[in-house]
This record gives sequence, C-alpha cells and structure tokens, in this order.
Amino acid sequence: METRSHIQLRALVKVWTAFVVFALYLPVVCGALAGLSKGRYFGFPIRIFSTEWWEKTVASLEIQTLVQNSLLIALIVTLVSVFFAFFGALAFARYDWKGRRLFQKAILLPIFFPQPVLGLALLLWFNALGINPSWQTAVIAHLVWIVPVVTLVIAIQVYSFDPTLEEAARDLGASRWFILKEITLPILWPGIWSGALFAFLLSWGNFPLSLYTAGVDSTIPKWLYSKMVAGYSPMVPALGTMSTLSAATLLLAGGLVITLLRRRRRDV
Amino acid sequence: MSVAMISPPLSEAETDAGAATLAKAVPVLQLVDVRKTFGDFAAVDGIDVDIREGEFVTIVGPSGSGKTTLLRMLAGMEAPSSGYITLRGELINDVPADKRPTCLVFQSLALFPHKTVGENIEFPLKVRKMPAAERKRRALDFMRMVRLPEHYYAKNVMRCSGGEKQRVALARAFAYDPDVLFFDEPLSALDYKLKKVLEKELKDLHRESGKTFVYITHSLEEAMVMSDRVGVMSRGRLVQIGTPEDIYTRPATRFVAEFFGEVNSFPVKRMPDGGWTLAEGGPIIVAPVDTAMGDTATVIVRPETMRFVTGPSRADNLISGKIYNEYSLGSRMQYQVHAGERIYLVEVARAAASGLVAGDAVTIGWDARDAILVGD
Amino acid sequence: MSVLTASHEEAAAKPSHLAIPAGLRAAAPVILLLVLGFLAPLVTVAAYAFATPKSFDVFRSFTLANFAAIVEPSNTVWTSFVWSLSYALATTILLAIIAYPIAYGLNRMFGKWAGLVSVLFVFPLFVSENVRLYGWVLFFIKNGVLDGGLKWLGLAGGPEVLYTPGAILFGMLYVYLPFMLFPMTLGLAMIPKDLVDAARDLGAGRLMIWREIELPLAMPGILIGMLLTFVLGAGAIAESKILGGQSVITIAQDIEIAFTYAQNWPLGSALALLLVVIVSGLALFILSRLDLDRILGRR
Repeated sequence: METRSHIQLRALVKVWTAFVVFALYLPVVCGALAGLSKGRYFGFPIRIFSTEWWEKTVASLEIQTLVQNSLLIALIVTLVSVFFAFFGALAFARYDWKGRRLFQKAILLPIFFPQPVLGLALLLWFNALGINPSWQTAVIAHLVWIVPVVTLVIAIQVYSFDPTLEEAARDLGASRWFILKEITLPILWPGIWSGALFAFLLSWGNFPLSLYTAGVDSTIPKWLYSKMVAGYSPMVPALGTMSTLSAATLLLAGGLVITLLRRRRRDV
Repeated sequence: MSVAMISPPLSEAETDAGAATLAKAVPVLQLVDVRKTFGDFAAVDGIDVDIREGEFVTIVGPSGSGKTTLLRMLAGMEAPSSGYITLRGELINDVPADKRPTCLVFQSLALFPHKTVGENIEFPLKVRKMPAAERKRRALDFMRMVRLPEHYYAKNVMRCSGGEKQRVALARAFAYDPDVLFFDEPLSALDYKLKKVLEKELKDLHRESGKTFVYITHSLEEAMVMSDRVGVMSRGRLVQIGTPEDIYTRPATRFVAEFFGEVNSFPVKRMPDGGWTLAEGGPIIVAPVDTAMGDTATVIVRPETMRFVTGPSRADNLISGKIYNEYSLGSRMQYQVHAGERIYLVEVARAAASGLVAGDAVTIGWDARDAILVGD
Repeated sequence: MSVLTASHEEAAAKPSHLAIPAGLRAAAPVILLLVLGFLAPLVTVAAYAFATPKSFDVFRSFTLANFAAIVEPSNTVWTSFVWSLSYALATTILLAIIAYPIAYGLNRMFGKWAGLVSVLFVFPLFVSENVRLYGWVLFFIKNGVLDGGLKWLGLAGGPEVLYTPGAILFGMLYVYLPFMLFPMTLGLAMIPKDLVDAARDLGAGRLMIWREIELPLAMPGILIGMLLTFVLGAGAIAESKILGGQSVITIAQDIEIAFTYAQNWPLGSALALLLVVIVSGLALFILSRLDLDRILGRR
C-alpha cells in the first residue's frame, strides 16, 4: 500500500539514481567531445567540430597494430576462459564434492585482489621463469583474473539447473557425452554466452594487467595510458571513444542474442 | 491501534462467557462491495460480507479465485479499488498494515531467519518499546499458549521443524494482540498427518483466545474442520457463505458442490408438470427446492448417497449399469459404474460392498432427498 | 531403473579413473590456472621479500632487511600505506552510502526498468578505467568542460580540483561504484518480500524494518561489496596517476617503482607481501563467514 512518504522516497531514489548514472557517463561524453573537436588542444565550448582526429586515428598504422593485439588477446582469452569456466562452474555449483567450499572461496581470491599488484607479481614470476613478457603472457594474466569472473557468471546459471534432469536422461539410457550435448549445454547456453561476453569485454578494456605483463607489445588501454601521461593528443579521446563504442555495440548485440536465447527457451 | 493486551492463555470459563456476549455484537469486520482491479482484470469483483466478533470464518476457492487478494486487502497490504472495509465501524480502506490492529499469518510464515524463536515472538513487543524483561516474560507466555517448550526460546528459528515454525508464527501473531487474525493457508506445505493435528489445535486456540479468525485455503476439507462459517469464492466473487453444514448439504451452485469433491452431476430439463427430466431423457425425482429455477438446471448426487439396490430394497431413482473399476478408500469403497453413455461414482461402506467386482451388472439408486438441484 | 543404468553403476564401482570425484575433475583446469597464475607468483613475491635488498638472489639469501627498510623512520614509504588504506576505507564507507539507495531501487522500485538500469551500471566496467578517468580530466581541466562551460555562461569558472588528493578520492568513488553496487543489490535481493510485509503488519515502521530486517539480511551482500571495494581501493594506482598528478603516492605505485625504475625487487616484494597479507587476511576473514551457495541462489 502506497503512503505519501513512500512516494516521496521513491522519487528521491529515482533522482539519486539518475544523478549517479549521469555522473557515470559524463566523462565518456567529455571524451567523445574532445575527440570530435578540431585543433590540437581541447577547449570548451568546442568551437569547430571535425572528424579529423578520428580519421587520423583510423589511418594510423601504430593503432592498427594495437587493435590487432587487443583483439587477439581478447579472442584467445574468451575461448580459453569459457572452456575453463564452464567446467569450473559445474564444480562450483553443480557437483557435491569434498573440496567444493574451499574451491568456491579460492576462486574468488583473484577477483578480490588489486589488479596492479597481481600484474606486478606475475611480472616477477615470468621473470623468475625466464619468460620475456609479451602479448602471450598478457593472455595468461588476463585469464587469471577473467576465468574466476566467468566461472561466477556461468555458475549463477548452473544454480538454476535442475540436476534431476541429468539423472532422468541417464535413467533413459543416455551416455555422459549425449547428456552434455542434449541436456546440459542447451540449458546452460545463456549463461555461457553471458560468460563469453564478459570475458571478451573485460579483456578488451583491461588496463592494469596489460600494463605490466604485455612487455613490449601494447594494447589499446596501455597505449592510451602512455599518451595520457606523456602528453595530450586528440587521438587519445578519439581512440578511447571508439573503443568504448565498440564495447557498447558488442554488449548490445550480445545482450540481444542472450535475450533471444532465453526467450526461445521460455517459448518452446 | 488497541493498546490493551489479552493475557494468554485465557481460562476456559472466561472465554466461553466472553464469546457468548460478543457474538451478538456488531460485526467486527464489514465488507461492502469490495473490488480490486488490475487493469481490465477484476481479481476481487464485489464482495459483501459481515464477520462477527470471535468468529472463525474461512474463505475457500481455487487458485486465482481472488482469495489471496481479498486477504491482502483486509490485512492492509493492498488498497481496494472500490468499496468499503470497516473495522468496528471505522473505515480502514487506506489504513496501511502497520496501523491496523490486524495481523496476517503468511503462507510462507515469514519468520525472520536471523532471529531466534524468542526474538521472532518478541518482535511486535519490541516495536511497542516494551522493556526486555517484560518482553521475555510475555514471549514465554505465548510459547506456552501455542505449546512450544520453554527451551525453544533461544533456538534458531530456521532449525525448527515445519510444525514448530507454525507455532512460532502463531505466537508472534498473538503477541501483536490483533483484533482479527488472518491466515493465508499456512498449513499448505505440511504433510497430511501434521496438518490434521494443527487444524484442530488452531481451532482450540481460536476457542481459547476468543479472537476473530479469517482463514483462506484451497481445501474445503480444511475449512470444514475448523470454521464457524465457510465462504466459497470463484472468479472474484463470493458464491456462497454459510455454516459447513449449509455448504455441504445445500450447495448454492454446481461450482460449490463440485468444489467439495467428486460428485455425480446431471444436466436436467423442466417438464410441463413441474418435474424434472434428464437431458437425454428419463424422469428424475429430486427434493423440492424453494429457490427459483430456470428451465434447465443441474442435479448433484454425492457418491456417498448413492447405493447398490438389490433384493427388496428400493430407491426413488434407479439406474442399471456395469461396474467398470473399484477403488479402495480405506473404510469405504468407491465404484465406477458405466450405464449407457454416463459414468457414475458410487461410494459405500466396505461391508456393504462385499463380493462386487469389475464387470458385475448392478442397479444403483439414490433417494430424492439426496438429489440436490442447483441452478446453472 | 533400467538395466543399462544398473550395468553402468557396476562399472563405476570398479576401481578406475572414475575414482576421482566429478567435481574435482571439472575443477582441475581452473585449479591448475590458479596454482600457476596466482599462487606461484605470490610465492615468488614472498620469496623475493626475504632476499637481499637490490639483488636478484631469490631463494639463496634470507633477510628481514626489506621489512626493516619499510618501517625505518627516514623512509617515507609507510605514508603510502597510510594513504592507500585511508583512501580504501573512505571509498568503502562513502560508496556504501552512495550505492545503497540505488541497490534498494533496483530491487524494490524500478520494476521492469531494473534490468536496463543494471546494464547502465555494468557497462562502464568494460571500458578501461584510464579512459573513463581521463574523461574527468577533460571535465575538470582549465578550459575544460566545467571551467569553459561556466565561463561561457559568464561565471567565474570552475574550481581547481584536478591534481589534488580530493580528486583521487573522487576517481576511486567513480571507478569502484559498480563493485559496491552489485554485491549489495544481490544482498538486498535475498530479503523475501514477505518478511518486510510481515514486519510492517506487526506494526514496525520503516526505520525499524530497515534496522531489524533489511540490514541484517542484506549484510552478506553488503559485506562482500565493502570487502571488494576496500581491497581494490587499497591497490589503486590509476586514479592517483591520472587524476592525482602524483600529489599522493599510493602503495601500488611504490611497488611499481621498486619493480621497474628502481630495480629493487626485494623491496617491492616486501611491500606487495605486506599489502597482500593485510588484504587477504581481511578477505579470508569475511569470506569464511559467508555462505556463497545462499548468496548466489542455490536452494
């Protein structure tokens, strides 16, 4: 039942949320404006809009290499982490086994860990092993952090999975592989897709791990950072905005696919 | 809100005397044309009922009949779209739940999982800022009242069994000292045996406390055991309200009769002479009714008022058929009898059915007084 | 049960590779990754922390000199610890207050919009923090969006907030908001609505319901959010570098300096080890008190 004070509270919460969302996206908009203004130095209000810096960014060979690096790392991380995390999630949420509680907590530790420190520790470890840091080591570093996240994402879907379905399939004579293919995977698809989306986007936008573990290879966030501290160029906000827009597009497209998957499952 | 508290448990003599005088007083709860609509859908579609002080009224209906919505309006968790709800003559339509001297026992029981049994029961007392020592004393009183052992006071409420949780929820509701207690089928999750025990306990508690109880359930059987009056709801309307006896012997509609359990029902037509005939032909003799009927109606015959007719015995209505299958109900037997296109259910005492097996040709019969004529 | 299943069970009863529980087999790849990619680096860091300062003599020397250097009064590195932990604490407390109404709204008020609002809060996690923080530089900088905008309106221009300790705190609040918000939302979602209705029905006012029912029941989620925020905040580095302009050196930055420019791995490792001990001690203490199955929804 609605009382007057409750209506006031509701309005207050809505205003506050809207304000925080506004603050969340304000810097993104500032970056977009800076990337679209003509001239070497940023000033507001913008006098002349131009796509000059976008064109320069797209044309730059150096940036093409960055994009390739970032894409390659993100794709490998996505594939490997979904594979690891799928089984990890079953161990996390589906099977009852002796070490489960411990495993559940151990898997959270890399998430509950400052990433710059993790990156530096990995750098030390790679050095101790005599491995030269490169984009391959960055993949490992990303995996250490992203696999646990994806495991949690898939585990939430696994929790809603009724294990008696697998038992019923086995009782009907299905083999382990057949059950995985016909029962388990189709039901878990939305969770797996969400996990893959998370993995790609988190890797694409990761800065602290790439900074210390990619060696001489650079990724988009890493390059942007080096330019931010070394001196302003409008290519920084331009590339930042492009990177943000591609992430948003992917999130939108991925979200759409996952919604369709869920809906299809509900309708059938 | 009434600040005065009852002191539980009341002695038997006091309660009887109190109940007797109060029962004649004005209705404690009065509903006038209460409606609740969600968009185009009327969940509750015009309900009028008076509930008297100290009464135990049960509203029964299938899921989706609007009984939960009705209860939530009475408890103050929803506001009616139109109509009036008055409590002791005062309009309470827009009084929120925390300001109403009523209390709901939830289907989920809604026990606070992070609190002990004692803390759960003390919650409404804490709301009233009662000192801790006094709270504990009263909580223990209420625990005694609902037959919970004293050492449960410090027990984690989530470690209690289903039946114990029921008692905690009841004690907590009593601790609020409401004028009316509402129950949203709290027994539905329990197993049959425990349910039977608790139904009777609840009726005893009702008698001991002298409070007004309004109970909703989908089980007419549960309603019959406990209630002074039973109301049957269907599609947002109260189809019939009366004593359990009324509902059983004089169902107002086919819906009410069928809701009670398995019945034999026949569509019938009126003949020019005022008697009735089966739709497919053949006269049927029914008990006279005093309500107005149209030209078509339904005759309801309960399986337990049907019998096998052999030898010299006779009945007002007779049908020949063949036993198709038999079902044991414990002390009684039920038979499915096929006669022409029609299927009949006949239920008799085990002793009265010896020797009958599937395939036997039988004659079944029932008396006019057991044939209940209901309008369509 | 079919004949097929029976024979299947007989096979399982025989000693074979099936003796390893299915859960452990499924967990194996992740465990391997965590051992090689998380545990091993930490062990290396721990080993370096006890090596001779400014050397690479890991496992061959044992000394407490690195820890002695940290606590030595002439060395100011301990101030970085104080700064980092204070920032982390302030971020945690402020974010708990900022995020609570939003988490409450997501659970109780936004209805069908809750999904969209959640996505709006998730998305920034996928944009690297330096890009987002740089947006604030463009906002606060002289002749930037705020300053330029105010001047354009004929006002005096914006305040000088960039490159101050306050800007770092602001940046941390901004970056870590989702890490507080989502566990908190999950925690609030664990409160059955019936309990709140029941408490109200028993006469409790809003404050009482909040204190007695909502807060204690949402506590696991709130604690996880606070822990996550504190831990990430203690290791923060980008905020001070981008928004703080080196006005404050955080501990992560000191570790970075020791590992890179100064080439003093043992000192950096000692600092990292101290931070890890503080942070993981706190994390293990809180995590050991929580039931993850209940929070993530296993019935």
